[in-house]
Amino acid sequence: MNDHTVKAYDDELRELRAIVSRMGGLAEDQLVGAMEALNEFDTDKAGQVRASDQALDQLEIDAEKAAIVVFARRAPVADDLREVVSSLKMTGLIERMGDYAKNIAKRTLAISEMGPVAIPQILDQMAREARKMIQDVMDAYVHRNANLAMEVWERDEVLDNLHNSAYRTILGRMMESPEKIGVLTHFLMIAKNLERIGDQATNVAEQVYYTINGVMLEEARRPKHDVTSTELVTDD
Amino acid sequence: MTDTKIAKMTAKDVHVFYGDNHAVKGISLDLHQDEVTALIGPSGCGKSTFLRCLNRMNDTVATCRVEGKITLDNEDIYDPSIDVVQLRARVGMVFQKPNPFPKSIYDNVAYGPRIHGLAQSRTDLDEIVTVSLEKAGLWNEVKDRLDSPGTALSGGQQQRLCIARAIAVNPEVILMDEPCSALDPIATAKVEALIDELKGRYAIAIVTHSMQQAARVSQKTAFFHMGDLVEHGDTTDIFTSPKEERTRDYITGRFG
Repeated sequence: MNDHTVKAYDDELRELRAIVSRMGGLAEDQLVGAMEALNEFDTDKAGQVRASDQALDQLEIDAEKAAIVVFARRAPVADDLREVVSSLKMTGLIERMGDYAKNIAKRTLAISEMGPVAIPQILDQMAREARKMIQDVMDAYVHRNANLAMEVWERDEVLDNLHNSAYRTILGRMMESPEKIGVLTHFLMIAKNLERIGDQATNVAEQVYYTINGVMLEEARRPKHDVTSTELVTDD
Repeated sequence: MTDTKIAKMTAKDVHVFYGDNHAVKGISLDLHQDEVTALIGPSGCGKSTFLRCLNRMNDTVATCRVEGKITLDNEDIYDPSIDVVQLRARVGMVFQKPNPFPKSIYDNVAYGPRIHGLAQSRTDLDEIVTVSLEKAGLWNEVKDRLDSPGTALSGGQQQRLCIARAIAVNPEVILMDEPCSALDPIATAKVEALIDELKGRYAIAIVTHSMQQAARVSQKTAFFHMGDLVEHGDTTDIFTSPKEERTRDYITGRFG
C-alpha cells in the first residue's frame, strides 16, 4: 500500500489499526485468564479478568473517537473507507469477546463457591480453538491476509461441533446428577460463551476479508453447524 | 477563548469598514505558534478581509478603515511606530493565485532576504535559498534548474515556490488566502502536506472555501458569517459536533 501524500492521514490510520490490534491481544489475554481462573478455581484471577474488561471498553471508545476524526477530517474513500468502517465494527466485536471472557470469570466466582466439581475437559478444548481463532484473525488483520481470514471463518465449524458435544456431555451429566444442575448450568453457559467468542472471531474475519478485498464475505453462506438451539435431547 | 498557551497573534474586537460597509464586526481570535487556524464561511463573510488585517494588507485599500487591536507578540501592529515592511516579513502571505516574480527560481526566494539584508554573503544567500526550498518541499524538483524562471514551473510548484519565498525572510506567522483553489488535487495534497509540516515552526492562518480542506489541514477552525465570528474551536469539534446551528448548516451544506 502506498502512503498518502499527507503523512498525518497515515498516522491517523495507523493509530486506529494499533487500537484494533491491541484490543485483539487483550481479548485473547482475557480468554486465557478466564480459563486459567476456571481450571484452578482461582477467584483472585477471575476477579482480575473481570476488572480488566474495562480496558477493552475504553479502547473501544478510543477507536470510535479516532474513527470519527478520520471521517470528519479525511472523508476517507475506497480501501480507506472500508478500513475505517470495518475498524468500528471489529472493535465492537472484539469488545464482545471480552464480555464473554468476563462472563466466564463471573461464573467461575459462582462455581468456586459451590464446592468441588469436575470441569468438563471439552471446555478447554473449546477455549483452545477459540483462542486460535482470535490469534489467527488478528494475524490476518495485521498482515492483510485474506486467505487466513477466510480460513478462520471456515474453522468456526470446528468450534460449533465442539459446542454441540459440550452441550450433550453437560446435559448428560445433569441427567446423571440432578443435584449438580446448578453448577452444570454454569458450564453450559461457559460453553455457550466460548462458542460465541468463536462467532465474534468469525465476524471479525468477515470484516478483515471485506477490508482487503472489498467483497462481503457475509454474502457467501455462513457455516451453520451449531444445532443446540433446535435440538431435542432425550435420555435414550 | 480560554487558551492557556500564549498566543503568537491576538485580534481583539476587530472591525473593518469599506466606506459605509461594515465588513468585519468585532472579531476576537488568537493564532498560536504550532497551530493551523482555518477561516471558513460563505463568500463575503469577512474572512479574507480579516486575514488581510493581520499583516496590514488592507492599508493599501483607500476606503478601508480598521478598528480594534491586533498584536504580534503583544506588540500592536497598527501602532504608528511599526515598520510595515518589517511587519510583512514577520507575517508572510501566500495568495490564491501563485504569483512568482518574473525572475529565476533562485531570485524569487533570494529577493526577500536581499532587501531585508538577511544574508552577509553569497554563501549565506545560497544557504537561505536552499533551506527555504527544502522546507517548502520543492528543492528536489528544482535544484538542477535554479536559474529557470519561476513562472515556468507548474501551478502547484509555483505555489510552493511562493511559500518558499515567504519562508525565506524568517516569518513567524504565515497567512494563506485560498492557497489551493487554483491547483489540481495532487498539487493541493502536496501543499496541504507542506502546511502540515510547517505548522510546528509558524503560526498559520488559512482562508479556504473548501470545508474539507479546513478539516484536513487545521487544528482550529473559525466560522465567519456576515462579518461575525459565529464559532471558533478545535477543528475536530467543529466538524463532529458544532455548537451553533449556523455552523452546522454551513458545514453540512444546508446553506452558503
